[in-house]
Amino acid sequence: MPQIRIELNGRQREIPEGSTIQELLSIEGAERQQVAVVVNERIIRPDGRAACILRQDDRVELLVFAGGG
Amino acid sequence: MDQLQLGNHILSSRLILGTGKFSSTRAMLDAVRASGTQLVTIALRRFNREQAEDDLFGPLSHIEGLTLMPNTSGAATAREAIRAAHISRELSGSPFIKVEIHPNPQHLMPDPIETYEACRVLVSEGFLVMPYIPADPVLAKRLEDAGCVSVMPLGSAIGSGQGLSTAAMVSIIIRESRIPVIVDAGLRSPSEACAAMEMGCEAVLVNSAVAVARDPAAMAVAFARAVEAGRQARQAGIMPKYGAAVATSPLTSFLGNP
Repeated sequence: MPQIRIELNGRQREIPEGSTIQELLSIEGAERQQVAVVVNERIIRPDGRAACILRQDDRVELLVFAGGG
Repeated sequence: MDQLQLGNHILSSRLILGTGKFSSTRAMLDAVRASGTQLVTIALRRFNREQAEDDLFGPLSHIEGLTLMPNTSGAATAREAIRAAHISRELSGSPFIKVEIHPNPQHLMPDPIETYEACRVLVSEGFLVMPYIPADPVLAKRLEDAGCVSVMPLGSAIGSGQGLSTAAMVSIIIRESRIPVIVDAGLRSPSEACAAMEMGCEAVLVNSAVAVARDPAAMAVAFARAVEAGRQARQAGIMPKYGAAVATSPLTSFLGNP
């Protein structure tokens, strides 16, 4: 399957061409928790993730809450 | 009933807890529950599949009566803080945001100019904005005028345990403010939290002092009680200081004296 290159949380990453954000979350093991997704500085809400297909050179951030003061 | 009002939110606990630096998620959750706090801070971080169990949103969101206040820690500019606030609101659904902008990791002092700019924008977007600030009465007033629901001057540097080293300035902020003043950062012991409340702070925010205690849950309880004691003392009316002794017992008509 052809691959595309994206930047995921600041690192280069190859994923199958045509992957959606929902599929990326599954690949990363992040589908079971509350994760914020930002693609090219745009927040992608949960209801839009299954339809959002990632493109070559997209910059993707997956964010969660951690401890902080 | 004595309650803390932050925007349109009413809280009965005046202890706000940070959730960083605990030895485990379990220890943090135990401390949160034991303290009776109703507002905790959390931070936004990149997802790491090797640390997936560290996600705190799930366990914290299951504690009844607890509201989350995301912070913008890690932001060095207003633009970064605003972006973090947008993402945090999306993730948490909380209207609160603790604006925390410190460009220098060596001292972690908040940047007043970037903080003011971020607060101005976030207030206009409907956030309940609680900025972490240097203990500067002029800045505090400007942030109040901008629509922040509280100001949170530092007691001393983050995580330093140096206590209320800014007490004189915090007193001026309290005197001048019409919004709650909350000491945030630097408190080491419950007596310091009590002193902050006696001064007239409406709440305190504590993290390291609880997180690194040998028994965090017990320390959280100690802070909660100290905060309550300080608040009660403030409301009861603390006696003035005198420059000399003022007798508490009669000094006349004693035994052989006339």
